[in-house]
Amino acid sequence: MIFCNTLFSSSPLLSPLTLTQTKPSRFPKKLIARAQFQSMEDHDELLRLKFMEFPYLSDTRRQLMVELVSMVEDNLQSLLQPCSLPPDVRNFKNPNGSAEASLHIRSGEKSSPIDFVIGSWIHCKIPTEQSHVARSHPRPIPRKDLVLHPDYIKEFYQDTALDSHRQSLLKVPGIKPYVSPSLFVRSGFSPAVSALIIDVEEEESLEEIMRDHVSPAAKDVLRVWLERCAREEDEKRVVGEEERKELERRDKSFRRKNVENDLELKFPRMFGEEVSSRVVHAIKEAFGVL
Amino acid sequence: MAMIFCNTLFSSPPLLSPLTSTQTKPSRSSKNLIARAQSQSMEDHIHDDPLRQKFMEFPYVTATRKQLMVDIISTVEDHFQPLLLPCSLPPDVRNFKNPNGSAEASIYIRSGEKSSPIDFFIGSWVHGKIPTGVTLNITTVSAFLKSSTNAPNFTLEVIQTSPTSLILILDLPHRTDLVLNPDYIKEYYQDTNLDSYRQSLLKLPGVKPYVSPSLFVRCVVSPAASVLKIDVEEEEQLEEIWRDHVGPAAKEILGVWFERCAREDDEEKRVMGEEERMELERRDKSFRLKNIEDDLDFQFPILFGEEVSSRVLHVIKEAFGVL
Repeated sequence: MIFCNTLFSSSPLLSPLTLTQTKPSRFPKKLIARAQFQSMEDHDELLRLKFMEFPYLSDTRRQLMVELVSMVEDNLQSLLQPCSLPPDVRNFKNPNGSAEASLHIRSGEKSSPIDFVIGSWIHCKIPTEQSHVARSHPRPIPRKDLVLHPDYIKEFYQDTALDSHRQSLLKVPGIKPYVSPSLFVRSGFSPAVSALIIDVEEEESLEEIMRDHVSPAAKDVLRVWLERCAREEDEKRVVGEEERKELERRDKSFRRKNVENDLELKFPRMFGEEVSSRVVHAIKEAFGVL
Repeated sequence: MAMIFCNTLFSSPPLLSPLTSTQTKPSRSSKNLIARAQSQSMEDHIHDDPLRQKFMEFPYVTATRKQLMVDIISTVEDHFQPLLLPCSLPPDVRNFKNPNGSAEASIYIRSGEKSSPIDFFIGSWVHGKIPTGVTLNITTVSAFLKSSTNAPNFTLEVIQTSPTSLILILDLPHRTDLVLNPDYIKEYYQDTNLDSYRQSLLKLPGVKPYVSPSLFVRCVVSPAASVLKIDVEEEEQLEEIWRDHVGPAAKEILGVWFERCAREDDEEKRVMGEEERMELERRDKSFRLKNIEDDLDFQFPILFGEEVSSRVLHVIKEAFGVL
């Protein structure tokens, strides 16, 4: 999940892709061997590469994630600091090795409109039947009450024709709308969100859908976000002091609830108390909701 | 999508005299006029009001659909009695047609008295043919609370395009920023188990989720809203779904709304600060204004022609304070 925040404007934040796969993957990991590392940069690079392995995904899905992360990092290059998470938060397993995760968080430079960028993957063996299911929702998340600010809808969701992605994806056989069991998650979605469940017979169909439909849509949504939302000092979007405070409160509420409802609920079960509390603490710190 | 409503908060209507008949043609409603010997309570006046009777006829929908609308509206009226003022719209806004008679609508609004928790409720029906050739029948009832509380409103809206197909919105729309106030979700949507109605209705064959083409409408409904398309083979199936599932769900949700949201001056209720109240009023206004603009401003001229439409919209917007 990649999740960016622009502090200086009220533009939507981006959650371009959350892929939840319920089929245990049979794909072999691609290990990148490194002879040695010395400087901190090398160390950082190694950890970043480990994150970018996305070891439990199929080629197609890995490809998409790598492309999205690269798009974000390349575009926002000078605006981002290197990842400063401790190594045991950047990559961690549970004691018996049946679950593994990797986090990649980069804060924005002081003058950058980006608060931070987060990428992550989580792998966990859960006993379910074999099914080829993926849930995906690339979307810019609104950062304002849309009923109070209907122009926001026009600016970020209508003029960008974001809904066309949702409509096109839903035309593809095997793709259905996904309604989250969490009312909180539903309330955080934008009106143009593509929240989908992809459920097919053959693994190959899933790969095809990802490659031919989801991937281009996700990249396009990210492009829109980079162009429209994650811009540097924009005269138009100077946010007043009051509005800024309101925005910070809202962002905080959203992030906190996300961590509470999602990570604090799932991680202890997946990774055990010890690993989980260490990691969640680091995430809360990065999110500014400690 | 038509969510038709007015705000008659600023008017102080006179009591209607039930024996002053404004009928201009022999009407079926004359059968329903109840002669009373003694002076009557206001509510009797209301029920004898021929314009109300005409509204309550819901002439273009099936008996099943009409029955639910009548039940809901009567329940709302009975519940807020005696703190409801009579409908004070001019007669030619309470019922109007387009020049050639191919479209007709009826609007019924009653405001709450000073001490009532309800600002007003509105019932309406619209019938007409749109340029695509489809005949639309829209029936709605929505109730709006005052800014002394930020509890959700109630809405039931039905858009029917054929005897076997309709769109339903049944919801308690939120009146706050849910991301900023996640406890609101718990209080009004989780603890009430509202989502279970949506889930049950979706299990029925022929019922599917409906995504409004309007992004604004998608924002306005709550996360537990039943926004559904019912599309069946036989008319009888639609009637059955309506009678056995939608009807009971709507009445139960209305009950939840009475219990949890539309409460009278409640000691336990959190007192709203001035700032918060002003914010709420702004939000309510933004919602109502956008609705009129997106919906009625767009739809009414097409259905009723410029002249009728502008007269009606003028009254609505005036009562509304958004002229």
